[in-house]
Amino acid sequence: MKKSMNKSRKKWNVSLAIGTVLILAVVIVCIVSFIYMPHDPIEMNTTLNFLRPGANESYILGTDNFGRDILSRIMMGSRTVLLVGVVSTAFGAVIGIILGGFAAMSKNIVSSIIMRFVDGMMAFPGILLAMMLVLVVGRGEKGSIVAIAMFIVPTFARLVYSMVLDTESMLFVKAAKSYGITKRRLFKKHYIPLMATRLITQFSSSIAHAIMVETSLSFLGLGIQAPNASWGLMLNESRKYFLTYPYLAVAPGIAIVFTVLGFNLFGDGLNELLENGKGGKR
Amino acid sequence: MQNYIIKRIWSALVVIFVVSFITYFVLMLIPGDAAQLILGTDASPDKLAELRNAMGLDRPWIVQYLEWLGGLLRLDFGKSYLYSTSVLGLIIDRLPVTASVAVLSILIAMVVSILLGTVSAIKRNTAIDYFSRSVMQIGSAIPTFWIGMLFIIFFGLKLKWFPISDYSPLSDGLFVHLRSLAMPCTVLAIGETGMMLRSIRTSMIDTLDQDYMDMARVKGLKNKTIYFKYAIRSAMIAPINVIGMQFAKLMGGTVVVESVFSLPGLGRLLLIAVEQRDVVLLQGIVMFITAVVVFTSLVVDLIVMLLNPKIRIRTRGE
Repeated sequence: MKKSMNKSRKKWNVSLAIGTVLILAVVIVCIVSFIYMPHDPIEMNTTLNFLRPGANESYILGTDNFGRDILSRIMMGSRTVLLVGVVSTAFGAVIGIILGGFAAMSKNIVSSIIMRFVDGMMAFPGILLAMMLVLVVGRGEKGSIVAIAMFIVPTFARLVYSMVLDTESMLFVKAAKSYGITKRRLFKKHYIPLMATRLITQFSSSIAHAIMVETSLSFLGLGIQAPNASWGLMLNESRKYFLTYPYLAVAPGIAIVFTVLGFNLFGDGLNELLENGKGGKR
Repeated sequence: MQNYIIKRIWSALVVIFVVSFITYFVLMLIPGDAAQLILGTDASPDKLAELRNAMGLDRPWIVQYLEWLGGLLRLDFGKSYLYSTSVLGLIIDRLPVTASVAVLSILIAMVVSILLGTVSAIKRNTAIDYFSRSVMQIGSAIPTFWIGMLFIIFFGLKLKWFPISDYSPLSDGLFVHLRSLAMPCTVLAIGETGMMLRSIRTSMIDTLDQDYMDMARVKGLKNKTIYFKYAIRSAMIAPINVIGMQFAKLMGGTVVVESVFSLPGLGRLLLIAVEQRDVVLLQGIVMFITAVVVFTSLVVDLIVMLLNPKIRIRTRGE
């Protein structure tokens, strides 16, 4: 493992490069969508529905069942993907870091209750927990963000918990403790910087996860609601028609794959770079 | 070793308990209760109170929770409002579909990832390795529902190899059954392959880098013997854990796949329960699926322990 990693690093960190390009592309599309979109993504125009890509020059990717421009809806969907993906991951990460950190630093009954709770949250397979939470919070952007944040929490809580326990025996921690440092300060000033690389890498992969959950929820009709646009919702809307008009199912899917791939590769590449920079794993 | 087994079983039971707690309380937060659901939003407050009393919904939540939990232990999952039959019966009706899908797709994913993972570990940094690593990256980035739709368009509509959303149970014959499940299972397997392949590749590489592998080479053993007699055997231990984890992901993933391919399985039932806000049904399915997943990972852990001489010896020494 080490041999191959060093070799590839000297050459060129392909994952990081491709990941950065893909993420930048989505971010640029998102920014552009606020300035310019070829058509109104919400306005319906049933006389122009089911235009195949290229059938009309002003509708590059064609139109959907309501005659809405697919390209414009993809552009609008990039906002949803980034908003829900980043915000829910950030929420989940903060809660997870606090829970995991608290549990690891204060070893008492509370901390073991927290960790058992986290285990329980993690035991729900796939999007089951998110589906239940959507029922409570309601469908739409807010519901998705809350549901996905709770999906992200256990990952970070466990990661921080185990990392804090790993570092506890390190000399500088003992030194800091011998100076009578408060637990909160120890966590903020010493543990967080130490864990930063792993947390950043995990953050990137978690965004990819969050986007997967968002699109799945939207695809099942439990996430973003029309007329708002989400790539998963676009695929859901195309389900009735895609056997006759297969092109409807192509563009949103490609957009999802590129975005998820981008965050995954970015996370992997970053991991490779940072871990190597520190000289080997851990 | 006995201590370890007891500890592991205990922690699985604790997780199940926590899951039941979370499930019950999350779903209790849903606006509008069962009585409201049955009578509709414009029911009079008197009637609502009466029904609540009859259903026992006006008692403290802790009593209701304990009663529900006690029911679960007696395998009484309650009654669905939507179907007005027992939840367990509904689950058992739909279980075979989901079980078939889960088992078949994990088999497909295992075969593919063991083959590709081993080859790409042996031929590190060659075209084959890069190919299988790309497969693994892209495989874990493709949403199952999208690849499902593409499969329906391509293999169902264009090539007409497989039926589009037409499920045939095992009683129709094995071949027809497998044919109707081929697309959904392959689709699910694609999502699973990524993680499994990664772990098999990593663990194989770790094994190949061990000193005893060099030793075997120095002794003049043939590559084939080294790979198949020594490397695969010890490299398979770590991925078994991942396969257990993937099984969990897969049980969650069936919701989406069953929806795309209109399979009458547990995932579909779950989606119906969510859409119709049938809380009792939803609680029952979530508890059932999660319990299956937790016990699977328990069994996997115990198998790994039995397979791995390191853990066995270490725990014996304690």
